[in-house]
Amino acid sequence: MPRSDFWSGLVVAGFGLLALIWMIPNYAGSNPFAQMPPGLVPSIAAWIMIVCGGIVALKGLVKLIVSGISPLTTEINWSAIGWALWPFLFVAVAIWFMNFIKITWFGAILIGLMLFLLGERRWWLILGCSVVPPVLLYFLSVYMMRIGVV
Amino acid sequence: MDFSAVGAAAAEALTLASFIGIGGGVLLGYVVGVVPGLSRSVAISIAIPLTFYMSPYIAISFLIGLSKGTAAGSAVSAILLNAPGEASSAATALDGYPLAKQGKPKTALQVGLIASVMGDILATIILIFVAIPFARVALMFGPYEMAAILAFALVFIAGLSSGNVFKGLAAGGLGIFLGTIGLDNQTGLPRLTFGYTELMDGMPLIAVAIGTLALSEMFIQSEKLRYDRANMSVRLENRADDHITMPIFKRILPTIFRGTGIGTFVGALPGLGPSVGSFMSYGMAQKAAKQPELFGKGEPKGIAASESADNAVIPAALIPLFGLGIPGNVSAALLIGAFAIHGITVGPLLLRDNPELLYSIFAGMILASLIMLVLGWYGLMVFAQITRVPPHVVIPIVIFFCLAGMMLQGYGTFGLIILMAFALLGYLMKKYDYSFVTFLVAFIITPMLELNLRQSIILSRGNWEILLNRPIALFFIVCTLIALIALIIRTFQTDKAAAGAPVSE
Repeated sequence: MPRSDFWSGLVVAGFGLLALIWMIPNYAGSNPFAQMPPGLVPSIAAWIMIVCGGIVALKGLVKLIVSGISPLTTEINWSAIGWALWPFLFVAVAIWFMNFIKITWFGAILIGLMLFLLGERRWWLILGCSVVPPVLLYFLSVYMMRIGVV
Repeated sequence: MDFSAVGAAAAEALTLASFIGIGGGVLLGYVVGVVPGLSRSVAISIAIPLTFYMSPYIAISFLIGLSKGTAAGSAVSAILLNAPGEASSAATALDGYPLAKQGKPKTALQVGLIASVMGDILATIILIFVAIPFARVALMFGPYEMAAILAFALVFIAGLSSGNVFKGLAAGGLGIFLGTIGLDNQTGLPRLTFGYTELMDGMPLIAVAIGTLALSEMFIQSEKLRYDRANMSVRLENRADDHITMPIFKRILPTIFRGTGIGTFVGALPGLGPSVGSFMSYGMAQKAAKQPELFGKGEPKGIAASESADNAVIPAALIPLFGLGIPGNVSAALLIGAFAIHGITVGPLLLRDNPELLYSIFAGMILASLIMLVLGWYGLMVFAQITRVPPHVVIPIVIFFCLAGMMLQGYGTFGLIILMAFALLGYLMKKYDYSFVTFLVAFIITPMLELNLRQSIILSRGNWEILLNRPIALFFIVCTLIALIALIIRTFQTDKAAAGAPVSE
């Protein structure tokens, strides 16, 4: 826990710092006549992230030092990371596919394939679960919302 | 009270369209609640795109019905599976599951249902009588008061929805930062859009909500499948001695009233949420019981205490929403988004500009409670079967509807990329215990907070002394500071207590 606190706090504080020194000055815009500049609220938010993220990181670091734990580890469970990562990649590929084919048309494959990858082998369950949702979406978008196939 | 508006609201609630919309919401909520792993906020975020074609009254009532249905439905999986559909039903499982194992699953489910419906109806009535006078008072508030109240609510939510106030505030800071993206409403110039015209209207709320709540949750659920695939549901059988009787009802009635009171109080405070309400109610019921040793072994009072408080929180959370326009939890924050989609500003102005709609929603809420009773009572056997649906079947279907919801909104590929980015953010926030509740509430209320802050600065010309003439604003500023200090002390005390325990890496 202290290791994840240290790194996550560092990332939050780092993002706040990035926002404060690069994003807000370059992209928040300015209005010299306004009593409240457009960058004020984002700057307050960035400061909150820097201070709070910094405290979380510092507390994590103190705990790491007290417990004698290294901030880095070589014991990485690649199999667990792979298992956590594949659904992200699966959905990312599905989004890329949606540039070419509407989700209504390939929704059945999307659901069926993921069911198979999650370990389902009963063909009737795969068929039912993958066909019904796209059919419902078709009726919703075409007949109820009248926006056509999505 | 405008009685003609009340009459019109009641008439609107009794139309066929209203029955179908609200009944559909409750039914969908029940099904979602029964499936472990699907929470109320997941259901609402996915269902918002479904409401685009509905009238504002039906849409909001549908979502509130959905919310109520999930609270009641989650008790079914808590009792039959010992795996609560929502964290708030964990207290229900403490007595519900042992009672089901003793061969009385139907009794446990019926006790849970009656407690849910009674808690819900009573809290809705309290909402009706409290929200309207509350909104009348709030109409007199100016930007100073609103800015101070919003800041207070944010700090309160950050501290209470997360064990660590610094993580809560960091999440809130990120929510505020992302909430400022879009056209600046004073200069009319793009702010933090990085040249993307798609971001001119700000980060799409649907993408943020579905990404951080629903899609990220599905990624977490699929990760959990690696370690746990067990699904051991208690079978529901038709036994003559397995149903709620009048003596049981009489025994649990005082517990239901107490639970409703606790749930209403907890729900009206921003940030606490139904889990706190149900556990607090359970603890108080145990303390008040003549035989506290029966709790945890199948005591119906335990189920009644937890369920009545859990369901009372939902209407009570709408008191700050309708009264002040402040969401007390994620579901209420999502309702603000749903109102905005239908072009309605929620809060005290709703009472002034659109009282008919407010009364119709109240009538719809009562109707939803009654539909919940009928559906729950006669559909017990069907809902019990749904607990047998394995989680790996649910995940791909929910992911499909997450993606479809974005396409229905018309955001295209850019919206889907934003959705994916927020799914990753939500996953990391849940994984590393950064309050996504605070993040989402901060994201949603930032435009309102900034507008009120800007008006305050312009009106006061930067002179802080003006606050001395605004006692309500000053009171909330002092409360914010006190809450902040108290929450920081609490975080350090919790850390000190945990320091004695062995450290996990």
